[in-house]
Amino acid sequence: MEIKIMKNILNRNQNKADEVRDLLESKKVLMVNIISSPGSGKTTLLEKTCEALVSNYKIGIIEGDITTDRDARRLQKYEIPIIVINTEGGCHLDSHSISKALESFDLDNLDVIFIENVGNLICPSSFDLGEAFKLALVSTAEGDDKPAKYPLLFREAKAIILNKIDLIPYSNFNYQSFTNDLRRINGGIIKFDVSCTKGNGMNKWFEWISEQIKK
Amino acid sequence: MTCLQVYSFRGSVKEIIMHELKIAADLSAIVLEAAKKGKLTRVTKVNVIFGQMVQIVPDIFRFAFSETVRDSIAENAEIEIEVLPIKMKCVKCNSEVQVSDNEFRCNVCGSTELEFIQGKELFVNSIEGE
Repeated sequence: MEIKIMKNILNRNQNKADEVRDLLESKKVLMVNIISSPGSGKTTLLEKTCEALVSNYKIGIIEGDITTDRDARRLQKYEIPIIVINTEGGCHLDSHSISKALESFDLDNLDVIFIENVGNLICPSSFDLGEAFKLALVSTAEGDDKPAKYPLLFREAKAIILNKIDLIPYSNFNYQSFTNDLRRINGGIIKFDVSCTKGNGMNKWFEWISEQIKK
Repeated sequence: MTCLQVYSFRGSVKEIIMHELKIAADLSAIVLEAAKKGKLTRVTKVNVIFGQMVQIVPDIFRFAFSETVRDSIAENAEIEIEVLPIKMKCVKCNSEVQVSDNEFRCNVCGSTELEFIQGKELFVNSIEGE
């Protein structure tokens, strides 16, 4: 006997994500889901972004961390609300944990929430968290083949930050090949070439993200 | 005000290592519910449909599923995976676009503004049993 089901396996996650998106739209809070590999510079990006924006915007952070709160501790100095979600081995955040975390924020008193997803390029791409958009972050030290190997993230992301461009002379990163692959997968993606630690290209990112928050 | 709170989900479901396992756990819940509703005493086969973009590794998925249905009526159920190729629609000229080798571009008008028709599915199609 065959029983027809025809249902999205991630229905539960999707329904909750839709709820989260509606809630944030009604509260006019922009939520950005940052996805990257471990070590690409997510926390440094957030440090620099907080530094630049904290005087003009009310920022909240959700840190997805497998077991520790080390990333969150690096961001404590900006005196902004931070929620850490320890996934205990889990390789991605889901919309239920985000929804729970949002209960601890005063959403009427926030302009933007940055989610630092668990460092991983595959799994987080499949789980909608209710964000306004996904931001992909890759660093030149990881090699130039990331878009070709993990197309879903680069197809789904609205913007991409290429970090550690100051290291290109010391690596075999092929900028042209990276850009070509990226454009093939997502011709409309907005790209920022930066060095979070040296500051190159960061102003463009600050300007763009400020515009998104104001929208 | 600094606010640092730690949410720990220790002990929930099972320790989740890969997205295959999380998806398998959600699938097993749907399968067992449908089997109960259909008054099955044993589930022999689960037919799923995955889009090419979601990068599920079939062997890991089968293993993950077998772990999540252990000691249930779906233990030993076979997983049949159908993979759907990526298909897009051009926003500019409405043509259907077949994507191969990660080339997301309309082959009629050249636009890169495309929408998914298929390729991101994580669907359970049906279950079989007695």
